[in-house]
Amino acid sequence: MVKSSGSDDARALIRSLRVAYSATPTTLKIIDLYVCFAVLTALIQAVYMGMVGSFPFNSFLSGELSCIGTAVLAVCLRIQVNKENKEFKDLPLERAFADFVLCNLVLHLVIMNFLG
Amino acid sequence: MATSGWFLTLTLALVSVLPLCVAFSAESPTDRRILVLVDDLSIRSSHSIFFDSLKSRGFDLDFKLADDKRLALQRYGKYLYDGLILFSPSIKSFGGSLNTAAVLDFVDSGHDLILSADETASDLIRDIAIECGIDFDEDQSSVVIDHISYAVSEKEGDHTLIASDDFIRSDVILGEKKIEAPVLFRGIGHSLNAANSLVLKVLSASPSAYSANPNSELSSPPSLTGTAISLVSVVQARNNARIVISGSLDLFSNRYEKSGNEQFVTELSKWVFHERGHLKAVNVKHNKAGEKAEPAMYRINDDLEYSVEIYEWSGTSWKPYVADDVQVQFYMMSPYVLRTLSHDQKGRYSTSFKVPDVYGVFQFKVEYQKLGYTSLSLSKQIPVRPYKHNEYERFIKAAYPYYGASFSMHHLSVPQIAGQSSIYLLSSDRTNFLWNFDFEKQISEL
Repeated sequence: MVKSSGSDDARALIRSLRVAYSATPTTLKIIDLYVCFAVLTALIQAVYMGMVGSFPFNSFLSGELSCIGTAVLAVCLRIQVNKENKEFKDLPLERAFADFVLCNLVLHLVIMNFLG
Repeated sequence: MATSGWFLTLTLALVSVLPLCVAFSAESPTDRRILVLVDDLSIRSSHSIFFDSLKSRGFDLDFKLADDKRLALQRYGKYLYDGLILFSPSIKSFGGSLNTAAVLDFVDSGHDLILSADETASDLIRDIAIECGIDFDEDQSSVVIDHISYAVSEKEGDHTLIASDDFIRSDVILGEKKIEAPVLFRGIGHSLNAANSLVLKVLSASPSAYSANPNSELSSPPSLTGTAISLVSVVQARNNARIVISGSLDLFSNRYEKSGNEQFVTELSKWVFHERGHLKAVNVKHNKAGEKAEPAMYRINDDLEYSVEIYEWSGTSWKPYVADDVQVQFYMMSPYVLRTLSHDQKGRYSTSFKVPDVYGVFQFKVEYQKLGYTSLSLSKQIPVRPYKHNEYERFIKAAYPYYGASFSMHHLSVPQIAGQSSIYLLSSDRTNFLWNFDFEKQISEL
């Protein structure tokens, strides 16, 4: 009884999430896709490192941090450009985007140097 | 005329060479000039076998009475002798400038000493022995007695002439040839100072021996008993000065034929006067594997080769030293690498190893201390540097996925930025800043 109602609840939850997400603007969905890709790449690298060992550890770290860093920056961008988010309603779109670009440049400058 | 000219040249040559070849030196470490201090000059004849063996081996013996007023070990700050034999057990105080401190200074400056006591040993002789880590039995009248292993004689004696064959097992101290007959000993026993790690028992008494006065009843248990009694001991100081201390002067005398005494004291004198067991290390070399020249610095993980030549002085020449236990350390605060050196039977010891993955100032260290041999202590400093920036391995196959990931993140962000910017900014109803960006206007606004 409890179990079936639980799975029903879950199904209902997912459905409502999907409905709510379909209302998300396309631009935000693109960012979400980008974040998913970055996280997935990070996971693949972690699995690969588990298989071949940690030998070029600096390379592993830079590959991993490159993905995680990019994902974090993209999430930050998404928070700032989301129209629903009232906290950043005074922040111009250009400013948020310029932050994202600049941080990405700095991150990848470091990554390139650490990659070995 | 010509002959006399030759003669003069020869004499001059001899005179100029003589001081070099008669003295102890690093190149020829056997002692040459030996001062023998005696209570009574009759010891020259009663101990003639021992002294003759020394003379036949090239030693220059200078006999003096121990209370001679003109006694001096050094003149103008230079020692006149390389070795000192104290065969004067009963002397109360030396003549001339000699005293306990002078004898100890003599040893402290690397010279050798044979000290022999007997039942008449004076406080002066006992004090010198104590300074060397040897405590003679405090009871002045006691001698070593052994009712089981004593020398059999016609008349039943008091068993103070004891026979001992409990030698130290060391070929370098007592020679390679086994001492067949037991050593006969009549004299006082001593114990070793436990705090002194340099002193060694060479001849110890049998388990049934004890130290007591033979002429009186034994009222209390003797203080020294059994194998704790040392009859003859040696010391090799940290400066490689050697000392032999014996509780019996008769040990060196001609009196005991058919005993091991002659061989024992001869071998012991070879050791104490550096005819044996004196090592030198030369030609310390190290280089990168496959190279000849010695580098000023190594890099971490370099392969290197280290070699050193070790010779032993045989009394007349340097012979290759052969042992399997010489080790080298690659040392920085603690040994990072410890290798046993392999040798080629000709005195050359070598090994090769990899420099550890640690940089800093290292040392090659050889600390060789073996029973009876002079100690070797070599150290050579060498810096070890890390990889240079261009010495790291690049484009490692195993790292390609990481390269790919970070490049994809980097390069994907470019089209993503371009795509997003067009989506955002073109579709945005606000200022299209990417396409109509007016720098001048922005600056003037600032």
